[in-house]
Amino acid sequence: MNAQVINRAMRGTGSVLREYLVLVMIGVLAAVTGIVEPKFVSGANLVNIMRQFGPLIMVSLGMTFVILGNFIDLSVAGTINLVAVVTISLIQPFGQIPALLMGLTLGAVCGALNSVVILTSGALTQAEALFLTFGMSTVYSAIALLYSGGTTMHFWDITKSKSVFEAIGSGSVGPLSVSFVIFLVLLAALWIFQSQTKEGRAIRLTGGNKTAARLAGVRIKRSIVVIYTIGGFMAGVGAIVLFSRITTAAPVIGAGYETNAILSVVVGGTTLKGGKGSVLRTVMGVLLIILMSNCLDLLGVSTYLQVAVKGAILVFAIWLDNRKQV
Amino acid sequence: MNTLGIGASLYRLVTKQKAFIAILVMLVIMLFSGTEFYTAYNLLDMLNSTSILLILSFGVTLTIISGGCDLSIGGILVVSGILAIKFMDYMALFPAILLAVLFGAVVGAINGFLVVHQKTEPFIITLGTGFLLTGVAQQLTNAHPIPAKNPAFMLLGNGAVQGVPNLVIITVVLFALFFWLMRYTQFGRNLYAIGGDYEVALYSGINVIRTKFLAFVISGAAAGLAGVLLSAKLNTGSSIYGELTALVVNCGVVVGGTSFAGGIGGIPQSALGLLVFGMLDNVMNMLTITSYIQVLLKGAVIVAIIWLDCFGQKRRRETV
Repeated sequence: MNAQVINRAMRGTGSVLREYLVLVMIGVLAAVTGIVEPKFVSGANLVNIMRQFGPLIMVSLGMTFVILGNFIDLSVAGTINLVAVVTISLIQPFGQIPALLMGLTLGAVCGALNSVVILTSGALTQAEALFLTFGMSTVYSAIALLYSGGTTMHFWDITKSKSVFEAIGSGSVGPLSVSFVIFLVLLAALWIFQSQTKEGRAIRLTGGNKTAARLAGVRIKRSIVVIYTIGGFMAGVGAIVLFSRITTAAPVIGAGYETNAILSVVVGGTTLKGGKGSVLRTVMGVLLIILMSNCLDLLGVSTYLQVAVKGAILVFAIWLDNRKQV
Repeated sequence: MNTLGIGASLYRLVTKQKAFIAILVMLVIMLFSGTEFYTAYNLLDMLNSTSILLILSFGVTLTIISGGCDLSIGGILVVSGILAIKFMDYMALFPAILLAVLFGAVVGAINGFLVVHQKTEPFIITLGTGFLLTGVAQQLTNAHPIPAKNPAFMLLGNGAVQGVPNLVIITVVLFALFFWLMRYTQFGRNLYAIGGDYEVALYSGINVIRTKFLAFVISGAAAGLAGVLLSAKLNTGSSIYGELTALVVNCGVVVGGTSFAGGIGGIPQSALGLLVFGMLDNVMNMLTITSYIQVLLKGAVIVAIIWLDCFGQKRRRETV
């Protein structure tokens, strides 16, 4: 009897540990790096970490919904390229607020277009969606290249006011950077959408089991449109945060964001099998990735080796995610 | 009734032989283009530049027929190419090449272990291993191209026998080998059975685990060899060919008619599918289309063809 209770408690602890493995890893990583390199806990480094939260977290939050719906989106790289060059070029002729709004709309339109391609083809599996969105990514990137003529556009070429973008890039509200505040606002909105609305539940049901969801009266086609539109919109937000920070926009700046976003979502603990996960988990995933590259930077590990380490973590996380299901 | 029959057979032709039609369209266009497309030199050159993709596709076809796919080939391609050049500093040409191919096979075995034994999703886990290997390649070369110093190595990639480039000869030999493997051996037939219906294959007494695992090992080894040949052709090792190659090759295989559903397709179909991309490159260069438009057209072709593949499967689902 007593043994049984202990046993159950231990099993409980085990599953809790596995469930919140990412939190434990964040703690361990922060502690180890803090001891090895005291600079890690300095105010300057914390601000640095907060700034690095920028574009990746936006893209990853959008990707969370796509993966929750048991799909995948490789087109975010192309969407970022396109939104960045188009938005920066619109500041001069239309002014900054219209440019901002048009950029965000463009991101959402790109995402919606993905869902149209997927719905009309009748693609149901992640593999099919992967290849379709990869093709769309190539198309968006090509349009970005054609639109910009392959050149990099700079902030200093714009004579009109661009204060909004400058604020997003480097402004701060009290101790927080503006991009961090935008992140907090979007996180709150997306969390409410995901957990408190009917549509959010529909997305999770679609991801869990499409046939069951359809039979239960969930409009899965609508869910697919919604998840890809959110994915595209958030990629657009990511693009704007990205080029505002680096004050230039090249038609290739989005490269690699698709893999990193998938990495963050999976490491955070949202399952690739769909249906289970949360934007809050993705935040932890991104935090872990950023802490890790920050720590590797401080330890003097080369950027190239960091890519390999990230790849290893991605493979491990997918493997672990898979084991949890079995 | 009759028109319906024609419509249905046209629909079948388009969905089954997309690659064939695409090649036919390009051939007809080039007939009227007034360029030097129809010369032995150009056609051989086209084959030569497609050879690496073709070799990659042979291995990938095995994994797709067995119901998986392999997106790590881009990573294997670059790392084994770089390794071959690095090994050559310490040993003769042949052992260096052998070791690089072996490296590909080992990565394939890791993929196979993760997919077959651990039952992970093949496309996402191989995307991960490919990403990992890209990092390894960058670390090995500091993200700069490294030159090969062995003249025999360069000759391997650029030489020709009676005017036929070495790479084309190697590709044709490999084509024959893979064709035989898939058509005339028990292993090939078992792969089709596994892709067609895993459970049925299992209960028929096929060693599904070992067969599917071997498909990944062979795919890795083929990618390793392709990487060596690419390095020989360029006489440099570089980390810049990565994910894109993997995705293009996997798309090319599907273009040929090997479906992600598994169990359908073959080596000749894949060769045809990759030739679409090779010919598209050649035709666009001949017609002096600017590189950005080339990217756009390639993306559009990928979307269109995968779209058709999915649409065909949807039709099949609905008719059953």
